[in-house]
Amino acid sequence: MKVDIQKKVKIIQKSMESIRRSDTTLHTITFPRLAQELQIPMEELTSFFLNVEDIFLNEQKRVNRKIEKFLNEGIQNAKTASQAKELLESATLKLVDLLPEHSDLVFSASFYLPKCIEERARAKKYYKQTFRRIIKKGWPGKVDSVLDRQTDLVLLSVYGFYEYCARVSKKEGKAIHKDFTNMINLHLQDRLFF
Amino acid sequence: MKKSTNNLKDKVVNRAVNSLRRNKRIEQISFAAIAKELNVSIDEITSFYSSTEDIFLEAQKKDWESLHRYWDKYIKQSSTPGDYKNAFEIFFERFVDTLSMDADLRLELSCYLPKCVKYRERNRKRVKQKFNKLIKKGWPGKDVKVLDRQTELVTVLFYGFIDHIVHIPKIERTRILRDFRNMLNLHLQDRKFF
Repeated sequence: MKVDIQKKVKIIQKSMESIRRSDTTLHTITFPRLAQELQIPMEELTSFFLNVEDIFLNEQKRVNRKIEKFLNEGIQNAKTASQAKELLESATLKLVDLLPEHSDLVFSASFYLPKCIEERARAKKYYKQTFRRIIKKGWPGKVDSVLDRQTDLVLLSVYGFYEYCARVSKKEGKAIHKDFTNMINLHLQDRLFF
Repeated sequence: MKKSTNNLKDKVVNRAVNSLRRNKRIEQISFAAIAKELNVSIDEITSFYSSTEDIFLEAQKKDWESLHRYWDKYIKQSSTPGDYKNAFEIFFERFVDTLSMDADLRLELSCYLPKCVKYRERNRKRVKQKFNKLIKKGWPGKDVKVLDRQTELVTVLFYGFIDHIVHIPKIERTRILRDFRNMLNLHLQDRKFF
């Protein structure tokens, strides 16, 4: 089992390197061509993935699953407002840590490959609901309409942050993280917002 | 002559977008089908575009060049901090106002097609430079480091804003634009940022 996982990871990494080198649209890359590029039998590729879309979906879901687990556990454990505030900060830092080197390619794929678009839409809905719960708990006393508007702003900010981090090194992602969370905090504390 | 060429190019873009909306696949966009629908020869279309990717790249460039021209006009006329702040705000307003009906699909392709991704990257740098200039002149007194960090954050947020706004109904865009601008203003006025 462990060997299988290692093999799968290796295939993913090699595939991403090959796709990056080819500099072509992802949907035009076929499995036989990829197997040839990677110099592995087709059967080995198909034992893990159905097609190129499946490789990207796997990568997209892997990061989403981990972040969602982190957020779900965090919400459950957050008993105070400050713990909820910390959760938002630590979740975005966790995102920086989790994003693999090829996350720019996965980001691109999530805008076109149908299953990846679907996953993106599902995840966005989840994040919206979850951020709303965190904001409500971490910055209590907001009326529903304010909560909704601020949730939208936090959501779009996090997606902008995700796009940025997907394209830069972890070091650069972490460098902006503190400023990013400070800004979100400032926004959520803003009593004059309305 | 120039006007009719532009009209034809716009029609080609619209047909390509419609085809994509229907079939969800870029490879199903056919020059022959578009030529037939528009009652022109394929040669006429291939004189403008060498590939489907090219159609979307040109459309992306056209939208952004027009936006930059409009923005530059305001930047050029600015002389006081208030003018620069105004030029900063006007950019977002204009961006939202000029979003096409198919802005969602256009964004998705700009994040997916390799040539469009490259243009997007170059344009992001150009937008960032202008933000930097406007923040420097509109909110004077920041040191270079602060200016750079705040510029980066504003750019990160703007790209998250694009992704969000193209996926919501037109009527909701104005509301979120107001909140978004308030959030940026608050951030740029923040004296405790550092």
